[in-house]
Amino acid sequence: MAGPKASTAASKPASSAVDPNAIHSLWKAYNDTTPSRLKLIDSFLVFLMLSGIAQFLYCILITNFPFNAFLAGFGSCVGQFVLTASLRTQVNPENRGEFKDVSPERAFADFALGSIVLHFFVFNFLG
Amino acid sequence: MLAYSLPSDISPSTFVNTASLVRIVALGLISAAAISSRLFAVVNFESIIHEFDPWFNYRATRVLASKGFYEFWNWFDPTAWYPLGRVVGGTIYPGLMATSGVIYNILHALNLPVDIRNICVLLAPGFSAFTAWATYMFTKEMKDESAGLLAAAFIGIVPGYISRSVAGSYDNEAIAIFLLMFTFYAWIKALKTGSALFGTIAALFYFYMVAAWGGYAFITNMIPLHAFVLLLMGRYTNRLYVAYCSWYAIGTLSSMQVPFVGFQPVRTSEHMAALGIFGLLQIVAFAQLIRSHVTSKQFQDLLFVSVISAAVLGMAAMVLLTYKGWIAPWTGRFYSLWDTGYAKKYIPIIASVSEHQPTAWPSFFMDLHMLTFLFPFGVLVLFRTLRDEHVFVIIYAVMGTYFAGVMVRLMLTLTPCVCVASAVGLSQLIDTFMDPREPDVGEEEEKEDGSSTTATPSKKAAKKEKNAAPVTGVGAIDDIVSTLSIAGGLEKDKSAKAKTGIFGLDTRMVVLFNTAAMLLFFVLHCTWVTSNAYSSPSVVLASSNPDGSQHIIDDFREAYYWLRMNTKEDAVVMSWWDYGYQIAGMADRVTLVDNNTWNNTHIATVGKAMSSPEEVAYPILRKHDVDYVLVIFGGLIGYSGDDINKFLWMVRIAQGVWPDEIQEPNYFTQQGEYRVDDQASKAMKDSLMYKMSYYRFAELFGGGQVVDRVRQQYLPKQGPTLDYLDEAFTSENWIVRIFQVKKEDLLGRDLKSANGFAQGKKRKRSKPPVKRRVLA
Amino acid sequence: MLLPWLTLLWIPLYVLAAKSSVHQQLVELAAQNNGVIKLNDKTYDLLTSPDRDWSVSVHFTALDKRRRCNPCREFDPSWNAVAKAWSTVPRSERDHHFFATLDFDDGHTVFQKLGLTSAPVVHVYPAAEGPRRPVNGKLAPYKYDFTHGFDAEPLALELSKHTPVAIPYRAPIDWAKWGTFAVILLSGLITLRFISPVLQSRWTWAIGTIITSLVMQSGYMFTRIRGMPYTAGNGQWIAPGFQSQYGQETQVVAVIYGLLAVSFLMLTVIAPLQKSAQRQRAQIYLWTAVNLIIFSVLVSLFRTKNRGYPFKLFL
Repeated sequence: MAGPKASTAASKPASSAVDPNAIHSLWKAYNDTTPSRLKLIDSFLVFLMLSGIAQFLYCILITNFPFNAFLAGFGSCVGQFVLTASLRTQVNPENRGEFKDVSPERAFADFALGSIVLHFFVFNFLG
Repeated sequence: MLAYSLPSDISPSTFVNTASLVRIVALGLISAAAISSRLFAVVNFESIIHEFDPWFNYRATRVLASKGFYEFWNWFDPTAWYPLGRVVGGTIYPGLMATSGVIYNILHALNLPVDIRNICVLLAPGFSAFTAWATYMFTKEMKDESAGLLAAAFIGIVPGYISRSVAGSYDNEAIAIFLLMFTFYAWIKALKTGSALFGTIAALFYFYMVAAWGGYAFITNMIPLHAFVLLLMGRYTNRLYVAYCSWYAIGTLSSMQVPFVGFQPVRTSEHMAALGIFGLLQIVAFAQLIRSHVTSKQFQDLLFVSVISAAVLGMAAMVLLTYKGWIAPWTGRFYSLWDTGYAKKYIPIIASVSEHQPTAWPSFFMDLHMLTFLFPFGVLVLFRTLRDEHVFVIIYAVMGTYFAGVMVRLMLTLTPCVCVASAVGLSQLIDTFMDPREPDVGEEEEKEDGSSTTATPSKKAAKKEKNAAPVTGVGAIDDIVSTLSIAGGLEKDKSAKAKTGIFGLDTRMVVLFNTAAMLLFFVLHCTWVTSNAYSSPSVVLASSNPDGSQHIIDDFREAYYWLRMNTKEDAVVMSWWDYGYQIAGMADRVTLVDNNTWNNTHIATVGKAMSSPEEVAYPILRKHDVDYVLVIFGGLIGYSGDDINKFLWMVRIAQGVWPDEIQEPNYFTQQGEYRVDDQASKAMKDSLMYKMSYYRFAELFGGGQVVDRVRQQYLPKQGPTLDYLDEAFTSENWIVRIFQVKKEDLLGRDLKSANGFAQGKKRKRSKPPVKRRVLA
Repeated sequence: MLLPWLTLLWIPLYVLAAKSSVHQQLVELAAQNNGVIKLNDKTYDLLTSPDRDWSVSVHFTALDKRRRCNPCREFDPSWNAVAKAWSTVPRSERDHHFFATLDFDDGHTVFQKLGLTSAPVVHVYPAAEGPRRPVNGKLAPYKYDFTHGFDAEPLALELSKHTPVAIPYRAPIDWAKWGTFAVILLSGLITLRFISPVLQSRWTWAIGTIITSLVMQSGYMFTRIRGMPYTAGNGQWIAPGFQSQYGQETQVVAVIYGLLAVSFLMLTVIAPLQKSAQRQRAQIYLWTAVNLIIFSVLVSLFRTKNRGYPFKLFL
């Protein structure tokens, strides 16, 4: 789970080399067009990503023992991240047309259930 | 205009209600047919566990039921793989035993004292009903309810699935196919709706599947492959992201809870495709997010650089990890599917199993009958619409046929896909020819007379009467198709103006009659195959007497019962690994090797003992504390699955470990033939296996021609002699022969040198033949 | 008087000289023919003389067309490749082990003497004298085991156990294969613009999928893995037995399946498009008949494979 996450993070500095303006206008566009509810979700996503990166670095630089605990912690970050990201796409008004069967309330219920199941396994795996 | 008139005085709600009622009834009948067609084994023989692996599962389930789950989880079995023992809890997929354990406990909580054996025997038929239901749900997502019912009927009775799920075949596959289909259904549903709920359900059933069957790797690679193909086709949607990520995140974490799987999902190459697609989806989703915020030119720069750099980084990381040994390369079992010569070269133990052989076409036809050719047609029908979920079935079709061609065993994974695709195709055919609307062209052909209205119901009634239970379902499907298309026709446009369609009633009748006849033939075929080919327990054999009545050959149980009753409780029994589970399950004795072929060297040791001369084998036997040696011999009644026919594999496996001592060519004659008669090679005649099999065999023939009925060869009249073993037991038809290993101190001699002892014995033994010669 | 004694004294020297000359001869013979000595009855005896201080691996074969030994011809290149690899070993090691080939037509008597009735066979004779004589004194030839097929790699690996140093065999890079691969890839890339509509057409993929599934279901993998012949040779193209088949069966069965699938396709997809009622009727009857007849053919084919099958259609 490490590779792609790390590389998602790495993609930003790489692109800044291309055109600093692009980043700036992206940030501006993001600030202008995103509803505050989504911003809240995004901040949670950033937190999860940082937490995941921190754990990954700990695993690489210090020790990966106990490995199952690391996997549980890292897995919970990644899992929660993708579940939250799913919630974000589902409630994003721009994607209304794609999710005809999933109302925002339903999306939140799905999210809650998925998180509970996820953390059940995480807890079981922490050992 | 319509080809036949329809009743017009029925309200749409009546249609809908009747249709759903008929569907439920049909599903119930299909389930009944699925279960009952699997009971041939119980009816013909008795309620008994079949074959080899099920005996271990049964034994483990008994432990689970009597001692509880925690005891089972920590179960160390000292009686298997003597003297190593086996950590059972960590080396099995516990899903099957847990399922029966739960059923057992529920039934007992309800005060239904059902024997655990009956639960085990009937688990597979019971789950086949669930499989039919899951297939119905899956196919419903592909086309509609009518196709779903057809698919359920197919999977209910198709021999390809029955072969692994008759009553008594208590193996992992019994529940795994249901789990496979339901996981796929949940995945398709998640993909269609974009709901994380179905993703979570898919993950939970995936977890169950991981706990139940090693074939879970098929799901682990099918779903990512589907996602990847959708990405390549430019069909990325946010629904795909939600479905895949929720499935993968929860599914992977949960699969690591099974001790036997452990950290494999992050450590082995089989699972890396899923991880890679997971990463790729994150990148693509991120790119999509940015796209929604940035104008196109800037976006393209940004996206291009970021996706490329991320992909390169990810690939490099994977390669590096594999190179550094963090990610294990493909395991042999998996690899041998692609490089078909691999197993024979490097893992003979896998190649030796009969169900790992490639599949010849008659097996396909036997197992699938008319679905073999309905299936490509169904795939073509799917290509016409090619929705996201259809891509899944198409990929499955390609993968499934390839795997089934490489290994007989994997016919099982192909079967559901074949049923689904065939059902889609066939229901398309029936739809086309049931639709009462005729195309609207200038020249009109009115065919509205009274006969047409009466003809249709009478035909259906006739069909219903004629067909057996499974086809009642199919007959019901016809009803539904017609009612649905009528309902659709009524609702949408009464004055149907279809552009294309079928003219006339006779054409409809011809095609539908042909289809019905084919379905009938299919049912007959399935019933015949099931009752004749797939319902033998292989523990009990059946032959027919000259007068046609059935004769039961029960040598295995006879011998195992003898072992149980006449030997010490801790006696060690050596046999080829095929019979390890049965000895443990039925005779309850210690075995050296069994069907859980985890330790190749140990198996090779047994192989070496069997294929060496007595004096070489004896120290091996003594070193492993072997008390009894059990061989299977079919030469008397012509049972071809005996040890002499498996002997070459023993030699081969032993040769893999001791290439200097055991060499396969030595067991062939000069002409390169495998013979057991007087032309047999010296190594063959000296081998322990040969001697045990034919020991005193000649005496049976009282001086006449000694014939081995399996190999159709005449044996020398002077049979082999045994110096280190004593015949302890031979079953009624000589199928099972048990020999007792002599102790060194039986003669009261010095134990130091086995060699001296052997020579001493030989002198003693060789006296009688000399006497006889003198007399002659 | 002394002369006989003198000659007697010379004998060992003669023998020595003869032996070394035999060895020299063998070295030259080997050098002439890429490291493989072509044997006949006499040279075989020379080579395997009981006082040899060299080891030798002999390949018994029958390459003549009349002998109709396909495995021999299949194995021969591997043998020569391994022998050639051996000839690159430094002289000091190389001349202690020889590779030789004895064709049946050059040495009937040897074949008879050894009781060989099949070919190819590979024997390795260890050195009978000198420092390389086996410690356990076993001089019986080692017989090579063909379970790993006729490839050169396992052969080199196995023979290396009997040679002074390991045979430096390396599988040759299959330039032709890589070349065609590269050419196909390149031409694919170049014509990508032109063939991309083909690649993006779903029907290309549909045909590919259908053909794959038909071919696989007809037991193609079975014939490939087992290396089954195309026909039995005597004109019989149906392999006896349920668990076996020939190459031609694969094709016939695939075509039968294909025809049946096409008949369904015509009925379901093509016939409804027909605008004329009469033509459509003809089409439907025709394809239903095709369906019935071909299916009967298939069932009767299956009956020949599975004798106990009780059902039959029209055939």
